[in-house]
Amino acid sequence: MDAAGITAALVWHAAQFDLSVQDGNDLVTDAVAESDRLMGCWAILPPITGELGIGTGSRGGPFKPQEFFAAMRQHRIAALRAFPEQHRFLFNRAALGAFMDQAAERRIPVLFSVERGTLWPTIYSALREFPNLTCILCDIGTWGQDRHVWPLLETYERVYVETSYLALEAGGIAATVRRFGSDRLLFGTGFPLRYPEASTLALLHADVSEEDKHKIAGGNLHRLIQETRL
Amino acid sequence: MLDDCPIYDCHGHMGPFFGAHLPEADPDSAVRMMDRAGVRILVFCHHAALFAPDIGNRANIDAVRRHPDRFRAYCAINPNYPERIDADLASFELYPDVFVGLKLLASYHHVPITDDRYRPAWEFANERGLPVLSHTWGASPFDGPQHVRQCAERYPNAKIIMGHSCHDAWDKAISLVNSYPNVYYELCAVLDNRGMLEKFVEASGSERMLFGTDYPWFDFHYYIGAVFGADITDEDRRNIFYRNAEKLFGFRTEE
Repeated sequence: MDAAGITAALVWHAAQFDLSVQDGNDLVTDAVAESDRLMGCWAILPPITGELGIGTGSRGGPFKPQEFFAAMRQHRIAALRAFPEQHRFLFNRAALGAFMDQAAERRIPVLFSVERGTLWPTIYSALREFPNLTCILCDIGTWGQDRHVWPLLETYERVYVETSYLALEAGGIAATVRRFGSDRLLFGTGFPLRYPEASTLALLHADVSEEDKHKIAGGNLHRLIQETRL
Repeated sequence: MLDDCPIYDCHGHMGPFFGAHLPEADPDSAVRMMDRAGVRILVFCHHAALFAPDIGNRANIDAVRRHPDRFRAYCAINPNYPERIDADLASFELYPDVFVGLKLLASYHHVPITDDRYRPAWEFANERGLPVLSHTWGASPFDGPQHVRQCAERYPNAKIIMGHSCHDAWDKAISLVNSYPNVYYELCAVLDNRGMLEKFVEASGSERMLFGTDYPWFDFHYYIGAVFGADITDEDRRNIFYRNAEKLFGFRTEE
């Protein structure tokens, strides 16, 4: 982060995807505790199985989202991640209704990673069911994804796009800003898979105003986190 | 941009494409973006030349003629229309101000680069020592490492630029460059894999390595930033950005 000029980061752990939500979330919690420049994402599952632990009674009682959100606040966890395809659940009202209703009301961002297998129909379906969800589209893919992303930006005002792959598309950042303004883009690098200098240089030289660059670089995420009510 | 460190992008395209919205795909937009990024010359092959035989290499000629100081083209070879290949090769010789090499896109044309339908193009390149930019992909049944190896042996004078460096079959790409002096890395779709450039440079040096972006698919600044971010020397960066292209294509730079 120091070498690439990055002040702070919202992070997750590969084990949340590859191993288990429980172990991965613990690793994120530990990493965030070691640096005040990091904020974490916890991965989520349908709470009915009790695997989320926090917010679930020891005998498998009803899930209490408020306990889960309080724990997020306590551990500097600023957002949620969902991997419906990899973790074999449906991101819909039957599986996540009360949980995601409260997340939407509290403006807690939920991140979907296309590179990590989340399908566009899943994202479209999730937003149909939870249209007020604060949703961040991450790692959107190596080919230009405007045909997938722009209808969502147009339809749902609380959809945002992380730029690590948008920056890879020639003129992708500028074209999106021309169409939707700069408030909906959040700078991302894809580190450690990708060089942070790549997306940094692409933003620095994007054909947008300095004000737009500042918003994308950090202002927009800062605003989102300030709006969150945990 | 440093005047003594120009950037030659050796793998580009032009024009719209069915698979994605490309916001900056026309020749004028390309030049504007090149100016912003310090890219002096883009060597490209127009999508129409690759995918629409009714338009063909005319699209390359028109684009280069629009910005003759900034563009050069690869002559597209489409093996699904073998009757046109002779005419395409003839146009290569008719337009020496336009064409600097041949372009093969076997993974999309679904004909292996070793197929006989490509033979006239390979022989043409081999006789003249021309660069041939071939899309290469690790698991491809059309332009994988094994196909590159056969062509490198059959056509030792052709300069084979491995577009995407046999993506995912990185060790095989290294073996090819280290085994055949006529095989080159090309870095498009390599540079969004952190650490791969360092691995290539460590294994093969940086003297047969060309900078490419697939523009207008991918962003000049993004890939330039990746080269800056990689743990390699400034001499390596100069080789990648312009020295190797100068040697291969005859471009000129004052240092």
